[in-house]
Amino acid sequence: MNIAYSLIAVLGTLMVAFIVSLLLPGIERKFIHARIQQRVGPPITSPGIMAPIKFFFKQTIDPTSPLPQLYNSLPIISFFVVVVLLLSLIPQMYFLSGLASVIAIVGFLKVEEVMYMFMGSLSKSVLSVRMPFPDIIKGAKHVQTPRTFLEELSTLRAFRLIAFGSFPVYIALFVSVAITGSIYLTDIVAYQQLNGPILFTVAGALGAVVFFIGYMILLNEYPFAILKTKADVIEGPYLEYAAKYRSYVYLTRGFLMFVLASLFATFFLGIAPNIFNPSFIITIIIALLFPMIMAVTSAFSPIFTYKQFYPTVAAVSILGVLAIVAAFL
Amino acid sequence: MDDNIQNRNVIESEVPMGTVHPAALEPYRVRLFVEDEIVRDAEITVGLNHRGVERIMEGLPVEKANSLTEKICGICSNSHIWNSCLVAEKALDIQVPERAKYIRIIMEELERLHSHFLYLAHGSEVLGHETFSMRLYYIRETVMDLLSMIGGNRVQYGASILGGIRPRCELDEMRLQQIKNGMDLLEERTTAFADRFVSDPMVMSRITGVGVISQKDALRLACTGPTLRATGVAKDLRTGMKEYDPFEFDVITQDGGDVKSQLLMRVLEIPESIKIIRQAIRELPKGPITNRSWEMRDVNLTKSYIEVPRGTLYHSYALEEGRVRNCVIRTPSMSNIGAMQLACIGYHITDAQLSIVQCDPCFTCTDRAIKIIEI
Repeated sequence: MNIAYSLIAVLGTLMVAFIVSLLLPGIERKFIHARIQQRVGPPITSPGIMAPIKFFFKQTIDPTSPLPQLYNSLPIISFFVVVVLLLSLIPQMYFLSGLASVIAIVGFLKVEEVMYMFMGSLSKSVLSVRMPFPDIIKGAKHVQTPRTFLEELSTLRAFRLIAFGSFPVYIALFVSVAITGSIYLTDIVAYQQLNGPILFTVAGALGAVVFFIGYMILLNEYPFAILKTKADVIEGPYLEYAAKYRSYVYLTRGFLMFVLASLFATFFLGIAPNIFNPSFIITIIIALLFPMIMAVTSAFSPIFTYKQFYPTVAAVSILGVLAIVAAFL
Repeated sequence: MDDNIQNRNVIESEVPMGTVHPAALEPYRVRLFVEDEIVRDAEITVGLNHRGVERIMEGLPVEKANSLTEKICGICSNSHIWNSCLVAEKALDIQVPERAKYIRIIMEELERLHSHFLYLAHGSEVLGHETFSMRLYYIRETVMDLLSMIGGNRVQYGASILGGIRPRCELDEMRLQQIKNGMDLLEERTTAFADRFVSDPMVMSRITGVGVISQKDALRLACTGPTLRATGVAKDLRTGMKEYDPFEFDVITQDGGDVKSQLLMRVLEIPESIKIIRQAIRELPKGPITNRSWEMRDVNLTKSYIEVPRGTLYHSYALEEGRVRNCVIRTPSMSNIGAMQLACIGYHITDAQLSIVQCDPCFTCTDRAIKIIEI
């Protein structure tokens, strides 16, 4: 009975998360971006549901990549990493204590970030070096200079983001660790069930702000979308994905939005994602609310270059450190 | 900028972009030589849109050739046909009725407005600010509606003909009232947008001190139009054009030479164009709009320079038995390409397209066989 209950809880939670995540890109684009920009916008089901379905039935082309099979498998791996991340948050999985800890969560998020580096370095689109254009001709400048694909810039940026960009989200997670004194999710959830949500403490409130900035950076959303800036690298690491592989990219992004919202609910409200827990509705509300706030922010922001990115991340990280200090006090 | 870097044969790496790239509205190739994502040198190559318009015009009847010049550019089509007509009118001593001159000015200034709004919208898009871009396209629609009302098309209105204005572009009371209302609406919306734009700290942070072209470089590279004026040089051909004599307007300049100055230049030129249009409506003379009493004769090469939204537009041709000979057309972007390359240097690669776009390029109009003479 217990096994069946746990199985239904895990699968049900995954199912609900997946369904909600399919709607998130549509909500972001239809209800926020389009409304702010005074246009009709796409149907709500279009970006998250219809577009991936359409891409699944398109003809798959071989990407221009030194390792096309590995390149194509990366979005699938990325999707499974996000699924495992959600699994680690579900209370029925807490018996795997190594999995249900902050260290594991940070690890999974890092794997997710590293994927962009692999994607970027394995993509060789036609939009730069491969364009059949006679560059190296008489009179051309610096003809001996090594030539770089646009996506390699994305790789460099992904590397930089791993080094500093995702700082805020990790610092925010450690605010909860500092308050509860444990790296295990079971303790973090139990602490908040006894003492109330961390969000309503000074440290928690600061941590929540820091987490939200980190959430936007991890999702590569404007203004933090330097990884896929249209002004130069266009789609960045995703440039060569076509058909079903592009579909996986879209599904992963939507799912990651939900999982990060669940992470917030678990760490700052003590609500672990579980379909049998009535409070799970709050997780769903947060999952809907976060993309909305993110969409408003991104609709009114230009893209940041490092000149704006570094100070923003530094300031937010300092705020996060202050939150940790406040947690110890 | 360290001169040694540009003189070096090898830079850390080269990132070529294009000829097809979403940030570029037209096909062109740009090679960016970067070190740690900072552009150290740049090379822009055009030539993919060469249509040989001057060659096609060779031997065409002048009226037909004038109409053809409209096809050079989808944004400043009126400027081309107007300037082409001016060449023939100057060569053949054709007296253009006063009313036609005023209507031509109204068309030209409306075109300047739509060009500037398009520039600002594209600039915002490259900046990554989609909302500003959408807002500007929305404001621009007022101008597009007015142009469509007068010319029958959103682009290529065919307003100017030899000796005046095409009859379908005559401005009756109803049309004048609509233009007047349109200007009021445009002024209100532009002011609101400008206030919002300059008070946005994130946008200002992205555009201030980026893509700087010094006044010295702008003069050395023979930049024209707003690109030159944004470096502090008060040079506007409209002040010397007799067609603009009856109108009062200010020549706008900015001192920075950066993307912010370039964008603000256009924003501030919009009210000046509105001012000119209002004066033209208020003082529109009565009378005919076309002078058909002129005679064709052979004439030597005649030149005409006018100030169009992007800078100085040059047209020249000779006439032989009513047909065009030795036509040469030079668009403003040709003069500004050097500045586009220079503006990229020393800034982040993400700002490279912004630095190019700030000079308002229109490579499709520019593409033609040229001979560069080193002075």
